[in-house]
Amino acid sequence: MEQEDFVVQMKGISKVYPNGIAANQHVDFFVRKGEIHALMGENGAGKSTLMKILFGLEEPTDGEIIVNGEQVHLTSPSVAISKGIGMVHQHFMLVPSLTVAENIVLGMAPKKSGIIVDYKKAVEITEENAKRFNLLVDPNAKVMDIPVGMKQKVEILKALVRGARILILDEPTAVLTTQETGELFKELVSLKEQGFTIVFISHKLNEIKQITDRLTIMRNGKSMGVYETAGISEAEISRLMVGRDVVLSVQKEKSKPEGSVLKVRDLEYTNKWNKKVLDGVSFSVRRGEILGIAGVEGNGQRELVEMLFSLNVPDAGTATVNGENILQTEQRAIREKGVSLVPEDRMVYGIAGPATIEENVISDRYSKKQFNKGALFNVKGIHSESDHLIADYRILCKSRKQQVKMLSGGNIQKVVVARELSSKPKLIIADQPTRGIDVGATEFIRAKIVELSRAGAAVLLVSADLNEVIELSDSLIVMYGGKIVAYFDDTSQLDDMVMGEYMLGLKHQTDEEIRRVCYE
Amino acid sequence: MSNRRLLVFNILRGVAAIMLALAVAAVFIFLTSKEPLTAMKYLLLGPLVSFKATGLVFNSTGLFTILAAMIPTIFTGLAVCVMFSANQFNLAGEGVVMLGGFVGALCGIYLKINSPLHPVVCVLVAAAVGGVIMLIPALLKVKLGASEMVTSLMLNYIIMFVVLHFLNYNFADRTKGSTQTYPILDTARIPEIIANGTKLTWGFVIAIIFVVLVALFMYRTKWGYAIRMIGINQSFAKYSGMQVGAMIVLSQVIGGVLSGMGGSIEVLGRFNSFLWKELPGYGWAGITIAILAKNNPIFVPFAAFFIAYLNKGCQQMATYSDVPSEMIDIIQAAIFLFFAAEQFLAKYRQKIVVKNTQMDLANQAKAAANAEGGSH
Repeated sequence: MEQEDFVVQMKGISKVYPNGIAANQHVDFFVRKGEIHALMGENGAGKSTLMKILFGLEEPTDGEIIVNGEQVHLTSPSVAISKGIGMVHQHFMLVPSLTVAENIVLGMAPKKSGIIVDYKKAVEITEENAKRFNLLVDPNAKVMDIPVGMKQKVEILKALVRGARILILDEPTAVLTTQETGELFKELVSLKEQGFTIVFISHKLNEIKQITDRLTIMRNGKSMGVYETAGISEAEISRLMVGRDVVLSVQKEKSKPEGSVLKVRDLEYTNKWNKKVLDGVSFSVRRGEILGIAGVEGNGQRELVEMLFSLNVPDAGTATVNGENILQTEQRAIREKGVSLVPEDRMVYGIAGPATIEENVISDRYSKKQFNKGALFNVKGIHSESDHLIADYRILCKSRKQQVKMLSGGNIQKVVVARELSSKPKLIIADQPTRGIDVGATEFIRAKIVELSRAGAAVLLVSADLNEVIELSDSLIVMYGGKIVAYFDDTSQLDDMVMGEYMLGLKHQTDEEIRRVCYE
Repeated sequence: MSNRRLLVFNILRGVAAIMLALAVAAVFIFLTSKEPLTAMKYLLLGPLVSFKATGLVFNSTGLFTILAAMIPTIFTGLAVCVMFSANQFNLAGEGVVMLGGFVGALCGIYLKINSPLHPVVCVLVAAAVGGVIMLIPALLKVKLGASEMVTSLMLNYIIMFVVLHFLNYNFADRTKGSTQTYPILDTARIPEIIANGTKLTWGFVIAIIFVVLVALFMYRTKWGYAIRMIGINQSFAKYSGMQVGAMIVLSQVIGGVLSGMGGSIEVLGRFNSFLWKELPGYGWAGITIAILAKNNPIFVPFAAFFIAYLNKGCQQMATYSDVPSEMIDIIQAAIFLFFAAEQFLAKYRQKIVVKNTQMDLANQAKAAANAEGGSH
């Protein structure tokens, strides 16, 4: 290889996790000084693992790392930071109750006479760096009060203040609106001009084309090569990432909605920090239709879903499924009314990790007659049920006795979906059903949801993925600040710039327009 | 294949933990004893072997006494397995054993049933009382959110002093020199399997039957399934529609039933009257056993055997050498440490995992290709 000006050289990196997943297999990854380098791949391709190794969070099983020409052993993040590497995680690592300035100096706070934190100085440091790097933040605001976009700036500043010259951004745009993404890109370009090197993890093709210089594509834990961004087409990138040409648009016939299944009226909820999270939320979901809820995360979607599955108690309002109340009751009763939920956090609610696939797919139906013979389980019945579900939902596994936590993210989600969609539900609540899983599993799950809705189920889809919510939904509502701010009864003509304005609270429809979603 | 290899690893890891613990014990013995080799000999071999001039002779009485000692601890071990499986750290097994023994003895003294059913009735009453008393920590947990660990621990001492109160003031046989009840009626005694004075009673057979019953309950019934799922992930269980509160109560009531049975079977099989004046320790042993058995009922008899063997070895060592029997506490503590330490031999485990994964990779890729290709 010709002598180039590489700041990071990762050679032959392999990583096997204790659960037996080979996340990286002999991966080479080279980053030039002062470039924006995209690391691309589906979820589960091994991007995050590779970056965790570079940031010292994981030790590689094999391979060597050279930073600025020096061979390094990155045994912990503090070692990585001392080598000038900084990372901004997908999920922010900030203390919500502290101010921006306090977060930025956390662990390296300036002291007065060696003991007391010099808060003024912390604010100065923050302001000075904010100006220098052109990342405008409010040093005195508490992190819990600032918008997501600003939190991200705080994270980037945090890394820069600690002396990072190489910045790793793990899917930085996943939580941002179109407008915020635009702003972030301007800032990144300006950092690049100041000589910083940026590694940008993403799987959004348009973003990559927009700001990166080069890109490395990963698939199944292996590198598929490095390319100049200008010299490769989106279709080509997609092919390299997925290994086949995927059409990510959802094929579905037009919905013929009839009669409301779920009716939510005037739902109110104020959380323990006295913030009104649900403010007069009313809507209906009809048979045979997929109603999407779009919105930036944290605008009440999560609480709404919690209420609808009695995992939380609203202050006021009603919710009924086919005329029967579902608020403040037992999950068993809700499920008996034909409601199923694909939960947002599959590791918390969706599965029991150390239990087998079989034990996971029967958790909602194990007490049914067909699975019991007197006092004992009908083992044969349970085996055939789980084998059917594994086959129908194409869960890739060694056997039904395999522990669920040993599966890949996509297959774990298929286990959850297999259970939730196979119970002949009348109402399916799908909360971020394809978050963090590979394209194959995503397509499969979306197709299943469409199939069930066309067969007459009502579907409430909550997704932070704007593409997904527009593509998959028949109609959609937008939530902002705990309220429904818009209702579109036809998603086919929607444009994401307009949606962004609603999602950011810049625009909202009239009450009459919004009220249209309350079908009887 | 790889699952089997990891199972083998886990067993080897357990054996290694025990070996290391014994090595730690050996270090202490060599440091403190003037006759370390004699002490070690009795500790390791004493329970099953007699040292004769002609050499080592297998001691069948030793085996019988070890099996007899397992009877109460199999029950408490099973009780803890069920409660820990539901992630309920209920430690009241200790007190409930004493209560069960007391109630069983009273039934054996005051109920006049002249039939082989007499001990059965005594044990069932003791079991029922054990189950009812466990409602206290269970309901406090479910209804008020009180930590079952704290309430059950306290409950032990309440039970002990209440039992002692009734023993002293209501049921004591004043003709005897020490505090004890009147003799248990012969009809209520649980007989030995072979009458040889080793106290290996039919209680052992009942204990083994309960191992099978509890294993079936935990792995082959909807209640056991729900209890295990709640123990693994309570949020998941709740969301799935399981009756979490009811199952948490059920697991602890079953724990109480088993502990109460164990206590009464022990008293009716081993003693002529009820004479425990402090907590008997079987409940604590049950915790050790459940941990060694990884909450799996099937492994309980093996763990109980090991603990009984170790106890007997320590007794022998204390009898025939200058090492005190408290050495067993050091050994048990060391075993605990190595068992509980997740990272113990983790590097070696990682090596196995890496090897397995590399082997599986080729197969997996093939399987994936087939699955994708076949379904389209």
